[in-house]
Amino acid sequence: MSATSLPARALRSAAPSRRFVRAVDLTGQWAAPVACLVVLMFAVAFVPRFYELGNLSTVAIQASVLGIVATGQMLVLLVAGLDLSVNAVLGLGAVIVISNQQGFSPLSLLLALAIALGVGLANGLLVAWRQVPAFIATFGMLIFVGGVRLAYTHGQASGNVPEWLRVVGIGQIGPLPNAALTWIVVLLLTGGVLALTRYGRYVYAVGANYDAARYAGVPTREVVVACYVVCSVLALVAGLVLSGYIGYVDQRLGTDFNVNSIAAAIIGGTTFRGGRGNPLGVAAGAILLSILLNLVVVAGLAIYWQLAVQGVVLVVATAIQGMRGHLLSR
Amino acid sequence: MASSVARSDASVALSERRAARRIGAWSQRMDGSILFIYALVVLVSAGAGVYSERFRDPGNLTNVLRQTIVLGMLAIGQSLVILAGGIDMSNALIARMSTLIVAVLFGGDESLILPLLALGMAIGAALGLLNGLIITRVYASPFIVTFGMFGILNGVCLAIASSPVGKIPAAYLALYDARVGPVPMCVPAMASVWVAAWLLTSRTRFGRALYAVGGSPRVARLAAVHVPRTLVWAYVLSGLCGAAGGLFILARSGVGDPKMAEGLEFQSIVAVALGGISLSGGRGTIVGTLGGVLLLGVVANMFNILQVDAFLQQLILGLVVLITVATYRSARTG
Repeated sequence: MSATSLPARALRSAAPSRRFVRAVDLTGQWAAPVACLVVLMFAVAFVPRFYELGNLSTVAIQASVLGIVATGQMLVLLVAGLDLSVNAVLGLGAVIVISNQQGFSPLSLLLALAIALGVGLANGLLVAWRQVPAFIATFGMLIFVGGVRLAYTHGQASGNVPEWLRVVGIGQIGPLPNAALTWIVVLLLTGGVLALTRYGRYVYAVGANYDAARYAGVPTREVVVACYVVCSVLALVAGLVLSGYIGYVDQRLGTDFNVNSIAAAIIGGTTFRGGRGNPLGVAAGAILLSILLNLVVVAGLAIYWQLAVQGVVLVVATAIQGMRGHLLSR
Repeated sequence: MASSVARSDASVALSERRAARRIGAWSQRMDGSILFIYALVVLVSAGAGVYSERFRDPGNLTNVLRQTIVLGMLAIGQSLVILAGGIDMSNALIARMSTLIVAVLFGGDESLILPLLALGMAIGAALGLLNGLIITRVYASPFIVTFGMFGILNGVCLAIASSPVGKIPAAYLALYDARVGPVPMCVPAMASVWVAAWLLTSRTRFGRALYAVGGSPRVARLAAVHVPRTLVWAYVLSGLCGAAGGLFILARSGVGDPKMAEGLEFQSIVAVALGGISLSGGRGTIVGTLGGVLLLGVVANMFNILQVDAFLQQLILGLVVLITVATYRSARTG
């Protein structure tokens, strides 16, 4: 917490020292992995039950699902956007694939994919072409898609999860849950595209300075739209993995993923001004948040403290990254 | 001689330009969106009145006005924050938090009404202050800070009470039903709040500072507007409005409910957007927000009378938002 009061004092002097800027930058980048270690050590001392094998694999699966969503969220944050419709896409996608009364058909998978693509496209078009503030466009989409989902299910739960999805959700290869493998694949793909391809450089360029990127000939709008589309599709993937793990879908599936994915991405070193952030940091953020949320349960605290933990992580992370973005851009 | 003529010419030109700018500013604020929203309110009400006997019942009409009070309070606060270029996602939770604490402390004691009302408002102001300070001191995104505050307060509220609590004295509940003739007292009271909000935004230095900060913080700073202070005040006022809205819910429901005011943060943003206030700040008026609030109130009342399914209501609300924002004029193209 001292990180939030310290900068405020230092800011009042005209120019912060270079060491201070460096310190805030490093804090922003390394907060998640360091906090992970601290929390894990704390758990050794106070909550030894955390280290039971069953619990560890639960945490791994939850971190994987969150990590997949957060990777998509990071892409959108990189272009200075925000996607609040991820939990609706996650839920609707899962519902469409799973609650088919005649059992699973590949057609429903295609339909879910089409919906995810459509939602991402609509978000991207609203933001990039109509210049609607990202949170309002995606929040409207959240309400709308949530309504569609209610209209489709009438609030009923469904437990008709196809076998292959159960394998993805709870199966293991060696010690590694399949969900974690899925996450690693997503991470490798995203990391590879961001680091090695022209599109990856475009994403960072658009986020760092939209106008400069446009003058340099980057198809800025298309890049932004692509980020929203990928984010939606990743949310769908996460929804399938999650429902495979839980074994049924109900109205509450995925409700926390908006806050959590943003919190994980930001604590993992992504600034909301765009242009800064990488998949590995976000992975650390997702792991940190999953551990914290799990500790609330394992330590025997009431479940609503999870909400408070999410909020505190979000606000602290935002404060650090806001400071960092401000200092680095001056 | 020549120079003084030139000077007076220049001053005439200057005052003309000022007058032109004033008219320009007025017409810009009274743009089509406000006419549109009021036309829509009239149309929807007229349609509802023709269609449904229950809607045009005078008792129902005052009820509609009374039902818009809570949303109206939150939307006023939200307007101030959005005009200044911010956003408050936590106003509904501020309402819930301050009201819940008041409800728990009441214990059916009538003598506590005034001190507890003051306490509730103070809690609202303090939470707004916290939002404002975090946002202005560490340059954090207002959306994410207030969204995080939403989560924190949600958890804390559930920690205070997981089911409806509190024993509210009858004298407090009577506030909701107090009447002057056929009109519930709270309706004219709320009308005066709207007038006060309008005066605050259009006739005071603080109001002009709000528009300046929302239009461009850089230019506002160069024009000697204290940007952080203006923003902090906007969030404090939003917190106060939230608490006032929550305390009114308490008078209506008579119980501190850890689920109350759900979704109102979004509805308040929708009302503001419908009323034509630019979501990137600096343009629009509180008069438009009133139109947005009335429209949402009339539509909600219609939904109730027609017994429209909850999911359909949600679908329609989402569609309205998407259409509004898709036709929304941005600062860049505007």
